[in-house]
Amino acid sequence: MTARLRRSAWPLVLTVWLLAFGGCAAGPERGPVTLVFKYARILGNADPLPELLRAFEAAHPGVRVKGEALPWASDDQHQFYVINLEGRSPGFDVMMLDCIWVPEFARAGWLLDLTSHLQPDELAPYFPSAVASATYGGRVWALPWNFNVGLLYYRADLLAKYGLRPPETYEELVEQVRRVRAGERDPALDGYVWQGKQYEGLVVNVLEAFWANGARLLAEDGTVFPEPARAADALRFLRGLIETGVSPAWTTAADEELSRRAFGDGHAIFLRNWPYAMDLFEGKGSAVRGKVAFAPLPGRARGEPGAGSTGGAHLGVSSRSRHPDLAMALARHLTSESAQRAIALGAALSPARQALYRDAELVRSHPAMPRLQALALAGRPRPVTPYYLLLSATVQPEFSAALVGVKPPERAIADAGTRLAYFLRAVR
Amino acid sequence: MTGREAAARRRALVCVGPTVLALGALTVYPGVWVLWLSFQRRIPIFDVSRFAGFENYAFLAVDSRFWSAARTTAVFTLGSVALEVVLGVAAALAIHAQQRGRKVSLSLLLLAWAMPAVVGAKLFEWLYHPAAGLINVALGRHAINWLGDPSVALPAVILADVWRTMPFVAILCYARLLAIPADVYEAAQVDGAGRIATLTRITLPLLGRILLLAVLFRTLDALRAFDIMFVLTGGGPAGTTETLTVYAYRALFQTLQLGFGSAVSVVVFALVMAVAWAYLRLLRAGTVAA
Repeated sequence: MTARLRRSAWPLVLTVWLLAFGGCAAGPERGPVTLVFKYARILGNADPLPELLRAFEAAHPGVRVKGEALPWASDDQHQFYVINLEGRSPGFDVMMLDCIWVPEFARAGWLLDLTSHLQPDELAPYFPSAVASATYGGRVWALPWNFNVGLLYYRADLLAKYGLRPPETYEELVEQVRRVRAGERDPALDGYVWQGKQYEGLVVNVLEAFWANGARLLAEDGTVFPEPARAADALRFLRGLIETGVSPAWTTAADEELSRRAFGDGHAIFLRNWPYAMDLFEGKGSAVRGKVAFAPLPGRARGEPGAGSTGGAHLGVSSRSRHPDLAMALARHLTSESAQRAIALGAALSPARQALYRDAELVRSHPAMPRLQALALAGRPRPVTPYYLLLSATVQPEFSAALVGVKPPERAIADAGTRLAYFLRAVR
Repeated sequence: MTGREAAARRRALVCVGPTVLALGALTVYPGVWVLWLSFQRRIPIFDVSRFAGFENYAFLAVDSRFWSAARTTAVFTLGSVALEVVLGVAAALAIHAQQRGRKVSLSLLLLAWAMPAVVGAKLFEWLYHPAAGLINVALGRHAINWLGDPSVALPAVILADVWRTMPFVAILCYARLLAIPADVYEAAQVDGAGRIATLTRITLPLLGRILLLAVLFRTLDALRAFDIMFVLTGGGPAGTTETLTVYAYRALFQTLQLGFGSAVSVVVFALVMAVAWAYLRLLRAGTVAA
């Protein structure tokens, strides 16, 4: 009995050993060239990408393009790239990048320097702000793909009812909220909703408040909070919006979708959000269909005119790609005018090429596009620095603390500055 | 040692070998590596790599965000484990006392426990929704800013965690209750013990050891809690729900400060080890006494 058991145990032991140490070998690559394109499936139902990839294959015989999905959340995508690129695994050739990662990846040596591959003026058709965020150290590291800018949505019907024009300053906005709410007498109607949850969106909203007040997060020479008093004042103003009830208390937990839904359900007069929201407001069954318009974000009465923060995705080529020329051709193909038109038609993503905002076909399906172009042109990028994520992750809890009122704005700015100094000393 | 014994020993070593090697490769090696990293300033993507001694730990000592995260971890652990034990025991007693439908109750309990933490967190995100959430709709005019108020957010996160993990305590206790022989209760009844006396003198003491085990597991989990607050609040507002593991994640994976992030991880590791050691001592003392 024991002998039999003993004999029968050996295959088991062997299996465990094989399981533990087998499976590491990978087969050699054979056959035609395969390019791998990493992107997030952000393109909704009518995803035009498979067709665009097939078109590239048809134009390049012997080349196969594999589109591979990235995780959904931006943080997870970043983590995926960092682990794979730091681990030197050449698993992909062309990658979709959030514009705030470009300087970081460029400095780490993970991106192919595209400067010498570019024709003169090849970047001229793009928004300058998009090109700025694809450029680091005077070199170009990515091609702009889609583009975002912060907008002020407003209820055109309500403003018209009270004879108001969209506000040019935040002070006007506050006054208009008072008048409309006094007239409507609807306790469920909030004033101005925006993104105050402790996450990247908060940094975007606070930056816009900074800019309107003549403050910056990072100066060209690398100084953090070069105008601390103005920055603190901007934070105090945002806190004031919540304290006075112009913005609802839950603003401190609001992200894009939470605020977009409140406005889309007809429960707010003003909303700060990205261009994607317009399609949803105009969609079938929307409670605010035909009642919404957008304007530039307001400035401050004695400050600067308002500017929306820009965002969006770029396409970069991995410096470890074994086929850099083909990969560059693919990135160029996907960012071409016809590809960006297909993407703009198939999904609620705005193109990074300016000409498309006057494209007859696109304007027919998205009548607001010509207006959007003017606002996108006035947009400002977030600080273009390899340390952007460090910057953002460090200031988020401090900004949040000022917004919820547990820290005076001056102290939040000072504390964020102290922490950043410690971390940045190590990398500079 | 006879030849047979030596052969048996050799065989045992071969059988244990994969486990020891796997444990060594997956636990000891990374553990030592993290400790080594924590003594460095290391940010590989910026080519920063130098020995820093105790610099990271010295910064942690005066880092208000670290202490806030430590406090949050402590409050979260104490709060959620205490509530889980009270509610878990109550649920186990309730099911035990049930005449019918025990299986249904148990299945419902297990449903919450079987749900992945992230799904549970998403569920609570909707429950806590400021305008459309079930809870605030029920509260009507007294709606609460669940995830945006710095004094409410941590209790809200604790509540969500308790809902998901209380069943674990309940199931363990219920299993122990089933094992208590009926004649113990009969004897108590004969001696004239009331319901309260039966509960405090018989049931709870008999539950003691299994409860200690449940508390050990739950404390170690709660000290390392990450997913629930990461999904619900991302650590906000004002960092009031940021635990040490969330802080470590931000340092390690988001801002890629491997040295500094490792120092935070080492602190979490030391904390978990200390707590585990204390509990194990308690458990052993209990065994000797019993």
